[in-house]
Parts: sequence; structure tokens; C-alpha cells
Amino acid sequence: MLHYFDPGKSSFDPNRDLGTPASPSETLVSVSIDGTAISVPEGTSVMRAAALAGITIPKLCASDNLEAFGSCRLCAVQIEGRRGYPASCTTPVAEGMQVTTQNGKLAKLRRNIMELYISDHPLDCLTCPANGNCELQDMAGAVGLREVRYGFSGENHLDAETDDSNPYFSFDPSKCIVCSRCVRACAEVQGTFALTIDGRGFDSKVSPGQNQSFMDSECVSCGACVQACPTSTLMEKSVIEAGQPEHSVITTCAYCGVGCSFKAEMKGDQLVRMVPYKGGDANHGHSCIKGRFAFGYTTHQDRIKEPMIRDSIDQPWRVVSWDEAIGFAARRLKETQAKYGRESIGGITSSRCTNEETFLVQKLIRAAFGNNNTDTCARVCHSPTGYGLKTTLGESAGTQTFDSVMKADTVLVIGANPTDAHPVFGSQIRRRLRQGATLIVADPRRIDLLKTPHADRTMHLALTPGTNVALVNSLAHVVVTEGLEDKAFIEARCEPAAYNAWRAFIAEQRNSPEAMEAVTGVPAEQVRKAARAYATAGNGAIYYGLGVTEHSQGSTMVMGIANLAMATGNIGREGVGVNPLRGQNNVQGSCDMGSFPHELPGYQHVADDTVRGHFEQVWGVKLDNEPGLRIPNMFDAAIAGSFKALYVQGEDIAQSDPNIQHVEAALRSLDCLIVQDIFLNETAKYAHVLLPGSTFLEKNGTFTNAERRINRVRKVVPPLAGKEDWEVTVALSNALGYPMNYTHPSEIMDEIALLTPTFTGVSYEKLERLGSIQWPCNDQFPDGTPTMHTLDFPIGRGHFAITEYVATNERTNRRFPLLLTTGRVLTQYNVGAQTRRTDNSLWHEEDILEIHPSDAEVRGVQEGDWLGISSRAGHTVLRAKISDRMLPGVVFTTFHHPSSGANVVTTDNSDWATNCPEYKVTAVQVEKVSQPSEWQRNFQTFDKRQQAYLEQSQDESASALK
Amino acid sequence: MSDQQLQNLIKMINQISANNLHHGDETATAEIVATHLKKFWARSMKAQIIDYAEHGGAELSPISKLAVERLKA
Ligand code: SF4
Ligand code: SF4
Ligand code: SF4
Ligand code: FES
Repeated sequence: MLHYFDPGKSSFDPNRDLGTPASPSETLVSVSIDGTAISVPEGTSVMRAAALAGITIPKLCASDNLEAFGSCRLCAVQIEGRRGYPASCTTPVAEGMQVTTQNGKLAKLRRNIMELYISDHPLDCLTCPANGNCELQDMAGAVGLREVRYGFSGENHLDAETDDSNPYFSFDPSKCIVCSRCVRACAEVQGTFALTIDGRGFDSKVSPGQNQSFMDSECVSCGACVQACPTSTLMEKSVIEAGQPEHSVITTCAYCGVGCSFKAEMKGDQLVRMVPYKGGDANHGHSCIKGRFAFGYTTHQDRIKEPMIRDSIDQPWRVVSWDEAIGFAARRLKETQAKYGRESIGGITSSRCTNEETFLVQKLIRAAFGNNNTDTCARVCHSPTGYGLKTTLGESAGTQTFDSVMKADTVLVIGANPTDAHPVFGSQIRRRLRQGATLIVADPRRIDLLKTPHADRTMHLALTPGTNVALVNSLAHVVVTEGLEDKAFIEARCEPAAYNAWRAFIAEQRNSPEAMEAVTGVPAEQVRKAARAYATAGNGAIYYGLGVTEHSQGSTMVMGIANLAMATGNIGREGVGVNPLRGQNNVQGSCDMGSFPHELPGYQHVADDTVRGHFEQVWGVKLDNEPGLRIPNMFDAAIAGSFKALYVQGEDIAQSDPNIQHVEAALRSLDCLIVQDIFLNETAKYAHVLLPGSTFLEKNGTFTNAERRINRVRKVVPPLAGKEDWEVTVALSNALGYPMNYTHPSEIMDEIALLTPTFTGVSYEKLERLGSIQWPCNDQFPDGTPTMHTLDFPIGRGHFAITEYVATNERTNRRFPLLLTTGRVLTQYNVGAQTRRTDNSLWHEEDILEIHPSDAEVRGVQEGDWLGISSRAGHTVLRAKISDRMLPGVVFTTFHHPSSGANVVTTDNSDWATNCPEYKVTAVQVEKVSQPSEWQRNFQTFDKRQQAYLEQSQDESASALK
Repeated sequence: MSDQQLQNLIKMINQISANNLHHGDETATAEIVATHLKKFWARSMKAQIIDYAEHGGAELSPISKLAVERLKA
């Protein structure tokens, strides 16, 4: 007998559709299907049981990522002792059941059903874009359909009009069989509920919203419906254009910290479409618009295709060979060090590049530059997470898997907007909320997660920006004073002295919700209710984002969150935990790989002699035992004249960093700026050396997502300019006289494993075997660690940290009466260099300023007006959008477009511990204006000039070839 | 060293001091601040703040001053 324990994640081929979802039950039931005995978990459908036994039952409306629906009846079977022909997708197995899936009667029944379907279906299979990959076609073949007796002259839908409004997929209702898979995918998988079946019986049809077009509806273009559709009704336009792909490679999305796995489906060396991969443990076959559709930038004409150099930024570029560019860069770096000293140069690693590439850049800096002036853009997003979690829990990383949320009873989301910034995980939270979990959102904005259908147990703590610590302290105060602590956990797992000190502090009256109400603006009773819901739910899970870290007390807040989780025992098992939602795809990885100036890979401090000794031995050089400069320190030093050269891989500090005018001044003061990127980004406009970067499709490596999951990135096309990013770093290092001899990223990973205690068990061979690995992966946890801190903390006992609330200096006053906070939207990614070069821009053409109706009214502002926004740092102009998502007194914008200059306004205030900028709080004034700001006008002039330099160089290189 | 660079260092150290002060225990806080600087500040930054403190350190908060004393040790 075949024995299957089928917990969803299994050794089955993820490319197969088993018809209905796995049942979580541990009780096994034995059945016989066409004489094959098999035992499966209770609750499994007959269809899935058959599929597990290797027997395929015809189906149209079922798919194993959707609940069974039972509408097409094609999957009918016969069951001994039961009457009629039950649908196998909706019938659960029962002990001793005997099932027949094929006989004459069933065949006839199925043929009749197919005949009905086909009589209302255009027979243009040969020219249909789904030809060769259509389930309707397959089923017609499978049931042996030979004739259609009804003819095609009756009433039909054959001339229904196609909806082409979405740039990525089309909707051709004439091919629709009304199986409702798309409707269910939108509801169950994505959680958006944009589609409905309109009408009844023959008149029923699929419709987005209230008979709107896709573009005008609620649709967020995740693609789940397209994937679910068994016909060509919903179809990727890229497939309609290019035809069906012929091979595919599994790789990882390069957009956000969810780290979705995709099948890159190819036709020769052309990428036809990206399809989320069911075998991916982060996304289980779901995706969002960015990973699914926004890959057009990889072949965009703006890609930098050749290395270029120039002596000064007021000159046009010269296109040169790789050797010449690398030689030029190395010479400049050496000259700078000779003139200004060893510490006068540094580098910035990328949170978009692979682990291997990031590791090499920091190695280059430490070993070849001979200093620790390495930093990464995580400085401006999650550096407080590193500091705060390391201090309290002992490891700079989230504690759970994404799947863990399916066991959470209360989900507390602080300063994060998962449905926009981490969409696939946002969908998963929504799934859990629909099952009945309680949601608490602490955020100044009413984020979309609060709009989840069927989630009536929601609370919104709409706090004033900048008062996070006051809020988390008052939550903890309620836990402690109302006796909601998990005493057993604290006693067994936490350091007693620190705990007692913390307890005394947090119990003080000044931390009570009543006392803090005046600060946070959140009614005390709401705080008490939320604290009780989190502490007593059973499993309470915290998810937080940049709304926590990007504050002057970012690190304190992270520690406050960890305190709260420890005090309630919400650490160390599934369904609980403290989870930072990482912005860019490899923020976790770039931090792990030693990008920070004080830490070698694996968060090992540079002053630790034993650790450093180990690195020195493997790398064969002496290493500096003092921390280097962080990004803001580098800028200050550049302006002061002691920091003169910088190597930037895949980052755009001139757009993403706060107080842009300060950054621009710093970049202008450099003697040598080397930028390695796929586009002429804002930073590259200040560069002397421009080295072409490669996209994630053009290289091998790994990314680490927000759940510490190491995923493989696989090359599907050759790098446009001939070199993968790690190869460029290798060349630069060799030119500097420090030899690097890697021939494949797997060798770099072997070195990482050798030097990083949490990575000792990681290798490409194991990644191939397991699909992905969550670090720590070592002798103790050979297959990785899905849930951290189950038995103890890396520092032994958990450390409660005192978290005094200290108000930020950035306060509103008469001159700047509003608070500006910044964030992102679903369709755009970070500085937008990639997504702006795709059709995603149809959703977000420009950055706008959201302002509350009451603030708009006093200023006489109408929707669409030009608004001047000034802070003590600078002034910019954006268009107004009136929105009551914000609290009165708070305005919001994004920074996806460089010319909007949102970061001209943000200040250089930063987190006290890590210098992570305070993007989330800037005091501003807003008024109606008639023209762009001075900065914007200068920006345009400078931008034009730099673009002209680029074009000039390309013309020259083209004529040189002739 | 530019004026602005020094101003930023002063702002940073004072902010670290303010965020670690608990119940007015200045000695304990100064110790925490000094440890923080040792662990996270670059050599040149430490040298600059020490130099500034030695020339009066007018804008350093009392705790920051104590912390720089400890940094020298
Ligand atoms: S693309 Fe996604 S959101 Fe849009 S209708 Fe399809 S499933 Fe729903
Ligand atoms: S559009 Fe596709 S998935 Fe949706 S009902 Fe029609 S055939 Fe089924
Ligand atoms: S959720 Fe993130 S990782 Fe997944 S497809 Fe979207 S952008 Fe890519
Ligand atoms: S697949 Fe079972 S009823 Fe459609």
C-alpha cells in the first residue's frame, strides 16, 4: 500500500497540480482507487488521493491552490455503495472507500460535459495563444471528445469583447468557461476580491469590480487569476506576443524581502514570462505585480552596456574596455590613498546584489583597501533591527518563517504596510485574518490591511509619527501591571537582573497608556485592549517595517518590541515571534555578509581578535581592528576633505538618502567615484568610472529573504556587458594587487561557510538538494532553522533592555506645522530605477503628496494642485492628493521618482544608535505654488547635461565601431 | 575637519547620551556611551571628539563629557 503523509510540503513534483489543497490532518485514512490502495490524511479529497496514487482524474474547475468548488462535474467518479457520480474534488476520502475513476458511464458523462463547454467556445485552437498549454484542450483530448452535436449557431459568447486595459495581461471573455478559478484565486490566494461572477446560468460571466475594466477595478495585477485560468481567457500579453515558452529555470525575485521563487520561462534567450513557483517556500506559487510582470527593465534601452570613464564630472564619458576601466579605477584609488591616507577611500555594498557579491565587496574593502569603510543601504532602513535584536535576542534577524503567521492568533503590525511593500506576505496575513485571527495595526496611516474582508476583529492604533517608543512602552506597561506576563517563560529564558530592572521601569506610572495618551494621541482604552489581545491570544506575532526603524529612536523601538514579545512568551515557537519585514530583496543578506563597518560577516565584531585572526589567516592579510565610517560619516568626511574615493555597487545613494543636497555636495567633493549599476542612476551622474552591472537574470548567486531563507538566483541569460557583478569586483581587486581567484559564486559561498558560524552547513550542493535553507545552518541545525530561539538565545538568556522614550528634535512649530512621513507603493520599487522602466508606471506616474481634507481646506488646496513642501533641510514641489488615510496634521509621500525630490526635504536626523535616517518624521509646511522648486530646476538642468554626456559617448562608441 | 562634521559628531554623542540616561544615573550612562563609541565609531571620529573635548567641549552634554573621558582610557 502506498503511504502518504501529505503535509503540503513534500517531495512531490511542484509542477504537478494535485487538484485540491493538502489536508493538515495527521490521521490517516485508507482507500482504494482503481484497485490501488493508498492512505492519505483525513480530509483529503478523492481527487488528490488519486493524484497521489498516480491516477489523474479529468478536471476543469479544480486547482490545488484553491478550495474545491465542484462546478464543472468533469471530475465525476463512482464510489462503491454510493449513488450517482459524485465530484471527486469536493468529496473527501472515507476509510475503506472504493473508487472507480474510469469506466464507460463516466466516459460518456465527461464527453457530454465537454461537448457543452466546447459548443460555446471558439474553435481557433491553432491560432490561440494558449495552444499547447490549455487545460480545456487537454481535457477534450483526455475525454476523447470527437463531435459537437449542438453546433455553434445557438446563442453564445463568441463575440464578447476583449479587455486590454491591463498592460500585462488581456481578458478575452469569448474563451471563458466560467469555471470561476480566477474569481477564487483573487479571493483566496490574493485576497483582493476584485473579480465576481455576474449573472446566473448561461448569462453568467466574469467581471472585474462592477463591470469595470481591469485597470479601473480594484485589481492589483498580481497575476493569480491569469495563472489559475485553464484557458486563454486571461493571458499574459508577453505570451500572446512571443508564443509559448520552451524551457524554464527556477530563480528568485529581485524586488523585495519576501524572496518569491519563480520559473523564468524562456524561449531561447528571451524571457517570455515569470511564473511564481509552487515549490518556493516563501511564496508557494503566489506573486505580486513586480516579480510577476515588471521585468521589462532588464532589456530596456537605458541599460549601461559598456564601461566608461572620465576625469571630471563636467566632461562627457569615454567608452573604454573593461581592462582600461578597471585599470583606471585601480590607479585612481591607489593615488588617492597615497595622497590622503589609507582611510580616505571606502565602498558601499548593495542590498540588491547577491550574497556572494556583497561578501566580495566588503572583502575588497577590508582586505584590498585595508580599512573598514564599508557600509550598505541597510544603513538607511534596517540597521536598527540589527542593533536592537542583537542586544535583546542575540541575533540580528527575524525569528520565524512566513508560514508561521498561519498559526498566529493575534497579528500585530507596526509601521509596515505589507499589502504594498511585501505583497505576497500581505496576502498570506489576509488569509490568516479571514480564518479569524485578530489584527492590530499601529501606524499613523490607515493601511490597506485594515480593509481585509471578513476581518472584523481589527484595531487601529493611529499614533502620531515619532511616538513609537511611547506606545510600545505603554503596551508593555499594561502587560506587566495587569498580570499578563508569561512568568514561566521569563524565568526559564531571560536574564533576571535585566528583567527586574526593566520591570520596575516599565511599571512606572509615566509609562501607562493614560500618561502616554497625550504623547501618542492613542486613547488609553484602545492601548489596553490591544495589549490584552496581543498578550492573551495564545499566539501573538509581531511584524514591523521601516515605520519602526526609520526614527531617531529606531533601535530603542526594536528593543521595545523584543521586550514585549519576551514578556508575553511570544518567542521560540510557530505562530509567534518578532519579524522585521525587509525592504529590498537582499537586505538580510547584505547585513549577514558583513557590510557594516564594525562587523565582519556573521555579525562578528572587527575588534574580536580571535575572529579577526581567522579572517586574516584565510584572507592572507592584516585587517584593521577599528570600525570604519558609516555612509553619513563618509559624506561628512567627504565634505570635510578627508574622504576622497568611493566604490558603489548597485545603490543609488543620491536618491535614496536623506537630505539630498548634503549628499550631492559630498559626491561632488570626491576625486574618484566608481559606480557599478545597470542604469545611469542619480549617483552615477556624479561618477568618474561607470561599470555596467548585471541584472538578477544574468548571474548566479543567492539572496536571503526576510525569513533568513537563502534562495538560489540562477543565470538565464548572459550578462549584457559580459561580466556578472562579482566578476567586476574580482577584476578590481586583482588590479589593486590583492588576488581573488573565484571561478564561480559557489566558491565564494564555500568561503562564506568557512568564515561565518551561522553558515557553516551552507553549500550550493545543499541548496540544490533542499531548494532553500534558513540560516543558522551548521552542525547543530544541518538543514537550517525555520524557527529561532526555540531552546535558548545565542546570547544564552534573553536581555530586557530599558527603553526610555525620548522625543525627537524634529517637532512641528509655527513655521513647520505638519509632519511629513514617507513610504512606498505597490507597483514601484525603492528608487524606482527598475520599475519606472516598466509599464508599472501606468499605476504611479509621479510621486504625490497625500494630505488630509481638513489640512487641505485651511490651505485652499484642491486635488491635483501643485504644493510646495518645505522643511528646514529643503524645498520641493509635488502634486496634491486629498486623502483621509492620514491623520490630520500628517502628510505622506513616496520617493520613487528622482525629480520629485522627496529626500530634499527629509533631514539628517537619525537613529541614535545606528544613524539610520529619520525618514518617517519631518516637520514641514505645505502651500500652493505655481512652479517647481529651485532644487528641481537645478536637478533638471544637471540631469539633462549628464544624459547628454552619456549619449555623446554612445554616439562616439558607435561611430568607432563603424 | 569641517565645522559641520564636528557639529554632527557632537549631535550624535549627545543623542546617544540622552537615549541611554535612565533615572539620572550619569556614571552608568557614561559607561554605556563610551562602550557604544568604542564599538561603533571609526578611529577618526573618536579622535575628533576627544580633541574637541580637550579643547573645552563646550557643547557636549555632561554625560557626553564623562563618556569621552572614559573613551580616552
Ligand atoms: S491580477 Fe490579482 S488582483 Fe487582479 S483580478 Fe487577478 S487575482 Fe485579482
Ligand atoms: S476567466 Fe478563466 S479562470 Fe476565470 S472563469 Fe473564465 S475560464 Fe475560468
Ligand atoms: S512579493 Fe516581493 S519577492 Fe514576491 S514577487 Fe512581489 S516583489 Fe517579488
Ligand atoms: S474539477 Fe471537480 S467539479 Fe470541476
